[in-house]
Amino acid sequence: MNDVFRFKIAIQTMKNSWKITIIVSLLFMVMAAMYAGMFPQFEESLLEMMESGFGDSFNYFPHADQMATYIGFLTIELYAIFWLLILAIILGFISASSITKEIEGKTIDLLMSNPVSRKQIVFEKFIGLIPMVLIVNFATMIAVIGITAAINESLNLGYLLLVHLISIPYFLAVISIGILISTFLDEKMKASITMIAILVGMYILYSMSLMSSGNEFLGYISINKYFDPFDVLKYGDVDIGGVFVYIIIITVCLILSMLYFEHRDIEVT
Amino acid sequence: MNVIETNNLTKYYGKIKGVENLTFSVKRGEIFGFLGPNGAGKTTTIRTLLGYLYPTRGTATIFGKNIIEKNVEIKKEVAYIPGDLNIYGHLTGKQFLDYFASLRNREMVLFDELLDIFEVPLQRKVKGYSKGMKQKLGIIQAFMDDPEMVIMDEPTSGLDPLLQQKFYDFILKQKKRGRTMFFSSHVLAEVDKICDRIGIIRNGELIALEDVDTLKHKRGKKIRVKIKEKPELFKGPKDSKIKDGWIEFIASDSIDSWIKKLSKFTIIDLEINDFSLEDIFIHYYEGQT
Repeated sequence: MNDVFRFKIAIQTMKNSWKITIIVSLLFMVMAAMYAGMFPQFEESLLEMMESGFGDSFNYFPHADQMATYIGFLTIELYAIFWLLILAIILGFISASSITKEIEGKTIDLLMSNPVSRKQIVFEKFIGLIPMVLIVNFATMIAVIGITAAINESLNLGYLLLVHLISIPYFLAVISIGILISTFLDEKMKASITMIAILVGMYILYSMSLMSSGNEFLGYISINKYFDPFDVLKYGDVDIGGVFVYIIIITVCLILSMLYFEHRDIEVT
Repeated sequence: MNVIETNNLTKYYGKIKGVENLTFSVKRGEIFGFLGPNGAGKTTTIRTLLGYLYPTRGTATIFGKNIIEKNVEIKKEVAYIPGDLNIYGHLTGKQFLDYFASLRNREMVLFDELLDIFEVPLQRKVKGYSKGMKQKLGIIQAFMDDPEMVIMDEPTSGLDPLLQQKFYDFILKQKKRGRTMFFSSHVLAEVDKICDRIGIIRNGELIALEDVDTLKHKRGKKIRVKIKEKPELFKGPKDSKIKDGWIEFIASDSIDSWIKKLSKFTIIDLEINDFSLEDIFIHYYEGQT
């Protein structure tokens, strides 16, 4: 048992990803600062636009009618697209290639010659990606706090923290789906593209579910349904059930990944 | 005590046969050569033994432990050098060895000795290594914690002759210390040189399993002779051949009677050789498409 909890593969995964962690963190800090910083310039024209009813044509974006408020602007410009979709794609891309990369590159052969179980490899790869999520997440939060102060807007910091706390299970769910795909496929590119297709597909389904009430059921199979940054940021309104959905996704994906990876053949590719 | 024991071990990839009904054992402290041409099933056998592939039928144990159920325990005592060796390119040699040492979690007793024999640029990233350097790094990682057995899939490919010799010396030394080696190869000379026993695999099936010495002994001696008289005048055994004026035949029992017969002729040149493993190999592979 002693060997199992030493997390050496997880630590190596972290070491391997520190560069990309810094790059993605900086990218999102800049992105957050840029979008939030743009708000004062756009505020007036946005107000006019809203009054003219232009916002109605964007109703597939959640809370498009709030575009002219700082929270609405921040949610739509930063959280709805860049955070929940683009960052999910980046993290999904990385996680979906985590094990596939070793199979395709044949480094898995040597890794598996060590006294480590296959389940342990899967689990530690997942654990090893958690610091990346945390660092990107809180670095972006700090950037949002900084820029909000700089442009004299106000945000409830408690609610902002809440958004970034709920982001953790959301992104871990994304990563666990990526890990599951990476245990199934042998080619890095295929795995990453499959992952992106799943994330974009879920995002589109969720958007469709917002467009008309007849499509509402489509939203339930999308991870985007269970986390609404606007409600959290504006009202501190947390979808507890949604957080549970993420925890269930993480658990199920990890168990399936471990079981599948344990029983598959590792062939010479 | 047997280190490896297989019983009708069979692996099919869907409908394609990998290996079928392999039954053999490897004894503690021996160097077992696993011979066969490319595609015969050597790598499939090794990967099945290591638990990378699940057997379709049959069972195998290593140190008495089931290869599937006790896979992690087995790997505490068994190291592996893959044939198609790939090492993390972004790590330096040192980072890679440190990582693997941490996964083994025990003392790297042979590390310094190995590094003396197989010098590698530890501070350089592995992606800058030549094929030979990578192979050396693969050897170091396998032996560094002095495992009971090392399974090697054509380990000398990529090593120059000098290093090959150093490698043979090293594994012979390990053998003397009671360690077991499972060694796949298609290079006969090296098997001839270092192995105690060999298994020959063809089309996924084991066709021979013998002591190297018995095998050679059994096949007798190869005699080539050139005489001043017409070669046809000499009556050799049935399978003797005449090639470029040389009489070639195999003396399966004693060579004495043949030498006495030859003494009646004027001998220009005479060669008497052990039947090499290569001759045996060709003999076993005859008829293979």
